Amino acid sequence: MLKIWNQKKSEVEAQRLKPKGSPSRIRLQKDLGELVPSDDTDIQFPNPSDQTTFNVVYRPPTGFYTGGEFRFTFEVSENFPHEPPKVLCTQTIYHPNIDTEGHVCLNVLREDWKPVLNIQSVIFGLQMLFVEPNPEDPLNKDAAKLMIDDRQRFGRMVAETMCGQTRSNVAYSNVLDMKNPANKGRTLRNGHSYY
Amino acid sequence: MKVRIIDWRAVAGWRWDVPDDEVCGICRAAFDACCPSCKIPGDDCPLIWGECTHVFHMHCLLKWLGADNSQQQCPMDRRPWVTAT
Repeated sequence: MLKIWNQKKSEVEAQRLKPKGSPSRIRLQKDLGELVPSDDTDIQFPNPSDQTTFNVVYRPPTGFYTGGEFRFTFEVSENFPHEPPKVLCTQTIYHPNIDTEGHVCLNVLREDWKPVLNIQSVIFGLQMLFVEPNPEDPLNKDAAKLMIDDRQRFGRMVAETMCGQTRSNVAYSNVLDMKNPANKGRTLRNGHSYY
Repeated sequence: MKVRIIDWRAVAGWRWDVPDDEVCGICRAAFDACCPSCKIPGDDCPLIWGECTHVFHMHCLLKWLGADNSQQQCPMDRRPWVTAT
């Protein structure tokens, strides 16, 4: 019997000595460890000692936004996973579900968040927004309306704003991915073309 | 051959009645471990089953149900949470 007690004591001791971060950090670390590596998505940690703030860079392989490189900041609060991460687009882009301030309208970031979802689910959601924007639930109402009314003109508008052009007094960010051969011949705001 | 037992020591183990490799969907820690707020697994950090058959660490689920955005729904299937009895 004494042996069992000693064993239990040493287990408790081991638990105590093990560095135990806050529950949200532990859970975040698991989420980050389980991310599926992908050629079109990068995760960057501007401050390696702080995993709660990181950037996600996504290069859509198909759809209106092909050839672009879209950047987001993720902020994970102490209440994660009971609260979703805060996600902002750091560029000014023309998108039905993202306003020009970078706010993202995505169900899993708001009303549909639940703690069994993880960082990967949010990244999947962002990827979906670029492969197929959802004009039924818009943040940029003009973009959504144009997408519904005239997909071709919408596509042209997306392509032009992605080059960093100004439309309706909004100076859009140049989001073209320099490494993507699809961008050969596309022009920047200053008129210079790549290659 | 006759064997006479002079002395014996009983050793018992325990585990929750859940599949081996399953983890709590909220904290992602093993069910047989405890929730992130506790230090020692066991009766002090029990599991809770819903009528929808989903299982969580009780502390993890109660924290979720206490949040406004949970709407008292199971985090897995969004049905109203009813604790199984």
